[in-house]
Amino acid sequence: MRKKNFALSMVVCLALLFIIAIFSISFGAKQIAFSKIIEVLLGKDSDSIEATVILQRVPRTVFGILAGGALGISGALMQSITRNPIADPSILGVNTGASLFVVAGIAFLNITAAYQYIWLAIIGAGLTAFFVYAVASIGKDGATPLKLALSGAAVSIVLGSLVSTIMLPDNRVLQAFRFWQVGSIGSATWDNISLIIPFLIIGFIISMFISGYLNNLALGDEAATALGTNVVITRSVGALASVLLCGATTALAGPIGFVGLIIPHLVRLIYGSEMGKILPLSFLGSGILLLLSDVIGRIIGSPGETEVGIITAVFGAPVFIFAIRKGRVKSL
Amino acid sequence: MTDLNYGFKKRALRWKVVVLALFIMSLILIACELCFGSVYYPVKDIIRVLLGENIDGVSYAVNNVRLPRMIGAVFSGFAFGIAGYVFQNLLHNPLASPDVIGISAGTSTAAVFLILVLNIRGGVVSLVAMVFGIVTAMAIYRLSIIKGHFTYGRMILVGIAVSALLRAITSYLLAKAAEYDVGSTMQWLSGSLNGVQMEDVPALIVVVVVLTFVLISFTRHMEIIPLGDDFAITLGINTRITYSIMIVVAVILISFATSVTGPIASVAFLSGPIASSLAGRGKSSLVPAGLVGTVLTLGADLVAFHAFPVHYPVGVVTGLLGAPYMLYLLIRMNRRGVN
Amino acid sequence: MGKHILEARSLVAGYDGNAIIKGLDLTIPEGKISVIIGSNGCGKSTLLKTFCRLNKVMSGNIYLDNKPVSEYDPKEISKIIGLMPQSPLVPEGISVYDLISRGRFPYRKLFRGMDTNDFGAIDEAMETMGIIELRDRTVDELSGGQRQRVWIALALAQQTDILFLDEPTTFLDISYQVEILDLLGELNRSKKTTIVMVLHDINLSVRYADYIFALKSGNLYAEGNPESIISEKLIKDVYGLDCTVITDPTSNTPMIVPIGKYHKE
Repeated sequence: MRKKNFALSMVVCLALLFIIAIFSISFGAKQIAFSKIIEVLLGKDSDSIEATVILQRVPRTVFGILAGGALGISGALMQSITRNPIADPSILGVNTGASLFVVAGIAFLNITAAYQYIWLAIIGAGLTAFFVYAVASIGKDGATPLKLALSGAAVSIVLGSLVSTIMLPDNRVLQAFRFWQVGSIGSATWDNISLIIPFLIIGFIISMFISGYLNNLALGDEAATALGTNVVITRSVGALASVLLCGATTALAGPIGFVGLIIPHLVRLIYGSEMGKILPLSFLGSGILLLLSDVIGRIIGSPGETEVGIITAVFGAPVFIFAIRKGRVKSL
Repeated sequence: MTDLNYGFKKRALRWKVVVLALFIMSLILIACELCFGSVYYPVKDIIRVLLGENIDGVSYAVNNVRLPRMIGAVFSGFAFGIAGYVFQNLLHNPLASPDVIGISAGTSTAAVFLILVLNIRGGVVSLVAMVFGIVTAMAIYRLSIIKGHFTYGRMILVGIAVSALLRAITSYLLAKAAEYDVGSTMQWLSGSLNGVQMEDVPALIVVVVVLTFVLISFTRHMEIIPLGDDFAITLGINTRITYSIMIVVAVILISFATSVTGPIASVAFLSGPIASSLAGRGKSSLVPAGLVGTVLTLGADLVAFHAFPVHYPVGVVTGLLGAPYMLYLLIRMNRRGVN
Repeated sequence: MGKHILEARSLVAGYDGNAIIKGLDLTIPEGKISVIIGSNGCGKSTLLKTFCRLNKVMSGNIYLDNKPVSEYDPKEISKIIGLMPQSPLVPEGISVYDLISRGRFPYRKLFRGMDTNDFGAIDEAMETMGIIELRDRTVDELSGGQRQRVWIALALAQQTDILFLDEPTTFLDISYQVEILDLLGELNRSKKTTIVMVLHDINLSVRYADYIFALKSGNLYAEGNPESIISEKLIKDVYGLDCTVITDPTSNTPMIVPIGKYHKE
């Protein structure tokens, strides 16, 4: 296995993230020069039209980084916990689970504001992830990639039909839901971000804390136990962190697929299975990916925007197929 | 020695009885579908109208609304049923039906694009959706081959990825569409008989009938295929040609039916297993699966129309019906181990 | 039943463009039990599969009665050559009788049910394998040994003169292994069916084979009846194993006794 220089990679990723963040602030219906951005961010100009636009785009950019990072870590955690290279919030049906709870909230509880989605989405995400994994684990060979993917797809279809049942008779729900369902970071405001920040911070802290135990988990349950890791607790805590991260993100942004799959997968390919490296690199890498997808979406979709969830699916599905074809997924 | 095949003959008889029973059930449901609607018309009036008589009110409702709806249900249901069975048979997996592995998603995306973006309706939609369904199926198949080596597991995974991609595109189209188009498109996407027009009907009937006969000529092959490719080849099946024909025919059926009624959830994957458990596993369940598809679609449409305060599209009811069964299948399959 | 000559001529075959069989010439002895032996990866399973058309031929060819197999109608061949594959799939919930009836596929016509010939062949296959009592049970509930007999019966219902078996005794207890091989021996004697198989147990191979093909890395190392070819040198060359060859006290065939590191004189 090639071992790349971890510290150097972190620096490169940070630099890339910074550059893309600047792009993200610069691009849009109104193009803004880089010099102007720096001026405004340093507080030298706060009255011009440019300043207003920039200050609107900053929360979107920050949220893009956070959401990408959260999904990346969430995916890395799921892959580690399930010891399955294709585990990811979208494969595990988490998105549809969150969708079902959110649409039920819109329809039955008259929920309209993003902050109210959060708990519903987290609960929906958690229950679904747990259920899909439980179903896939039935049988003697455990949750193999194929069983996990099939279980996720099947449960998604099941939940999808429930979503339709709730949504179709009511045009109000239909309209509210169809925009949420696409997956976009465009509606981010500082208020929204401050609502999900606690969930993300808890998730990040937990994941860093358990990374050592997750390394042991990679050796198999018996070996991990022999090394003094409590397998059940590690799994549960890891799953909790993972669900907090993707649930909170999904609540605000809607379902964004494949981000949690692509970067952790690539990081693992390049840097090996050391969680202490995978987690921070997944955070940065996924942040870059999500923000980049968002910028691309804005360029392609101008004068409007193409939602980021669509761009990530268009990128992500081929990467997923590539992973399958390169034989990274065992037992096929 | 002569009665060693007693059990075999008994099972063959059961198969015939089940087919007959399903056929009779279909006829009863057809009658219900024509008689019940917003207003009830007696069978007598329906028959008179069908024989060409003109009865005020009844004629219009039957000829323009109920008849196309009924025919749509009967033939689409049949098409979903047998096509789903063909996929499950070829892929040795009850969950590997076209709706799970992404072929229906290809058809849907194409149809949504034509309807919402290009504002095209009618036969062209069917045709393009069908072509796109076949292209999707071929792409999924090609992508599952590595160094000339194909596995079913890989195909299922690739299918899931491709359908995620297509669904993203569909949601994009929906999000971009004008609001007044969305309601009917969403209805169609959930699988609905509301939009079936009389002019869609002849093509649907011809396609389903002809292709059903093509598939029936492969029933003996379908009895061998579950034993695995080694036996199939040894027993004299040219697997490449046979499988290709079966897949293409099934995809055409699925796509064509989808383009008329939308993807009616779960019918494709429910029909085969239900048919096999009713008719037994000694003979191919192709025809029973088609009939189960018809019965399911007609029955679900009646329920969708009459059982709730709002008129749901039929796909919502079949989706709800399919959900627990899909989970059951999944759990049972995982218990047995995949393949 | 007629006589059939099945032979490989300069056969090269393998997977994914890698030749595993590297230029073989051999003729299957008619009416006998032949066993292909060799270490793992020597190509014995590949050879068997290539004879049964499961593998593509890369160059050379398989000839049946002096005509390349590829020029026959597949259905014609399937009335002459049968196979019991190594890992067939068990369709869920199917009964023994119905499963065996699948072997009649090459004889059946479109839109036609089974006729007396078909029923006769199935009855005979069940009788040969001693599974008449099991006919209406479902295959899922059978033991490994019973299942194996059902699969062989399926191949017998096909009524072929030549029958290939790919490791028919793997995963079976030793008593069932002997039982299956005894049944195959009886079949060969009563019907003169040509039997070709791959077995993983060298001593059972030697005991039940009339003829042995010993493969070594894709080439034919030796062929002949066990008594004339099995030697300490052959075992050393083919399997890399030091051994002593003695005479099997029950069958008077050669018997291989491995030496190993700690049991040398």
